[in-house]
Amino acid sequence: MDSASGPEPVITSRNLRKMYGPHLALDNINLDIPPGAIGILGPNGAGKSTLFKCLLGLITTTSGEGTVLGYDIRTEGDKIRSKIGYMPEYDALDPGLTGVDQVRYSGELLGMNPAHATRRAHEVLQYVGLKDQRYRKIETYSTGMKQAAKLACALVHDPDLLICDEPTNGLDQRAREFMLQTLKKTVSEGNRTVLMSSHVMDDVQDVCDRIVMIHQGKIVVQRRIDDLANQVEREIEISVWGGASKMQEELESRGLVVRRMGRVMRVIRVDDSTTTEIINAASTAEVQVRQMQEYDPDLEDIFLLIMDKLGAEVKGTSDLMTEAHTGGEETA
Amino acid sequence: MEVAYGAGDGDEDAKAIVAKSEAHIGTLFEQTYRPWDGELGPRWVRNYAIFRHHVYGLFKGTGHRHYHPMVRLAIFVILLYSLLPVLMLFLASLSSDSFMNDTFSRLWGINRYNLWGQVLGYFPRNLCCWPMLTALVVGGMISDDRKFGTSAIYFSRPVTRTDYTVMKYVSVAVVLGFVIVLSYFVYYTSAIVFNGEGWAYLVDTLPMFLGGLIAGILVVITYTSIGLALSSISQSRFFAAIAFLGVIYGTKLLALLIDSQFDSSILYVLSPYDSLAHIGQWLLGIEPNYDHPLAFSVVSMLLYNAASVGLLTYRVGSLEVTRE
Repeated sequence: MDSASGPEPVITSRNLRKMYGPHLALDNINLDIPPGAIGILGPNGAGKSTLFKCLLGLITTTSGEGTVLGYDIRTEGDKIRSKIGYMPEYDALDPGLTGVDQVRYSGELLGMNPAHATRRAHEVLQYVGLKDQRYRKIETYSTGMKQAAKLACALVHDPDLLICDEPTNGLDQRAREFMLQTLKKTVSEGNRTVLMSSHVMDDVQDVCDRIVMIHQGKIVVQRRIDDLANQVEREIEISVWGGASKMQEELESRGLVVRRMGRVMRVIRVDDSTTTEIINAASTAEVQVRQMQEYDPDLEDIFLLIMDKLGAEVKGTSDLMTEAHTGGEETA
Repeated sequence: MEVAYGAGDGDEDAKAIVAKSEAHIGTLFEQTYRPWDGELGPRWVRNYAIFRHHVYGLFKGTGHRHYHPMVRLAIFVILLYSLLPVLMLFLASLSSDSFMNDTFSRLWGINRYNLWGQVLGYFPRNLCCWPMLTALVVGGMISDDRKFGTSAIYFSRPVTRTDYTVMKYVSVAVVLGFVIVLSYFVYYTSAIVFNGEGWAYLVDTLPMFLGGLIAGILVVITYTSIGLALSSISQSRFFAAIAFLGVIYGTKLLALLIDSQFDSSILYVLSPYDSLAHIGQWLLGIEPNYDHPLAFSVVSMLLYNAASVGLLTYRVGSLEVTRE
């Protein structure tokens, strides 16, 4: 865990526990989340939604304490919800309203007066890319537009903290990129804190500078992505031709650790001689090495590595996705 | 920078020839985060927003909760019908024919039976008007929030479940009250105005009027409680409306059948309408149509309200912000 010698944490918790009957949903959660963009990761049922509910002050915690923006999550839930913007995972829009009316009403529910809420609704709808669609009824919106409208609802009162639950759910590539760019801009230009949960590691890596990983109700990782990447063992990725199995055997016989994905293998880099060992092994096994490069681990590798160490049976992040995440498309 | 979402009508692919041979018309915009430093209002501002959203929707086509034009028309027709006695009293006041005056006065003039009938008469008001009005207003009032997930819009903001429930309740009650109680009030005052009655008449009839007013308020409260409870248990506005009509008509029909077969009025305690009608008869000093004691009807009405509010509160408590 990082030292706390930085900016004032936006979210803190100490020994936070939440039990639903005999089921332990959150177990001794200790958080120190500084301002910035933070990704909340974890398999389904890990406790992400429960954590959000606790942070929003919607459910009482069984024990422990916590603050969001300096407000106590146990007693000042209404103040917290005034200061944060929450973008829910699933549809939360009235299809009979136009975009601008929906966002205005969201503002009014926070206590904005109707004139301010209307003006602000126009601003945020432009910000999220719905300027031309703001007078259309939400029932005519595409999935991407609905996600953007939900983001606009969350941003209407210019919250200090934006909590986004799966913001790229069901979006096509173009809409997804725009959503991520908008979130990044909210952090960089708006100087706001974004807390986003996602099963798409690329999205989290794109937007966030740090992650909090939850597994079975416990925080298993809480640090900067760069720091995590530096801790992962470096690998050399090779692409071989003409006997991948023989090559794997040869490499393993030389004491090297190999991860094989068809013709592509990743060999853990022990020292500078590893490259020479790989070439010698190829020579012995009589296979061609068509490509060899240092492999930079991405967040997905880190996530899978941690899940593997925890004993969770997750072969890929696609295992974590439901139809709602993919928009009904098959995941690779 | 290009916007993420085209207008969907082909504009994004449109081309125009201006100075150059071929130029794409793209919607360009500067994505700039604009801060807002306004003040958020207190609790009553938020609660009033909920009330306004649900009530203004009946009067305005856009900007607030969407009511189908046919629903708005039906409510308007019911309001007009409930004001029919006012028109009749007006016509009677124009006529100098004593027979016509007597007839109009007997049918629509102020007396215990007509005041009772204005809010609690079975046909047509409690057969066609008030239950239909309630069904149209409560359908979707809470079930839509469950269906569309819009409960998250409320509860992820500083709106408590109590505020949400109370303001939805008040919104429905105000609409029902506007038609049922206000029409009753207009009916009474117009009778005084059109007939040029004085203080003595007012003093004579005021207790009757107040009895009917209380009965009208009880109708509004009971119908709102039952209607909203039914709206909270499903995701379908149709279910809420039909279930409400089913409760009102079904219990009445069952009690009527038992009464006709076994000459016993006791099962009328199952019917919310009949319990209210019984209480209304007592409030207005009319000979009751029911054999069973008044206390049974009072208990029935209280139980209906308590059970409905209990169910409503429980179901609103289960509305989610995040879905598991």
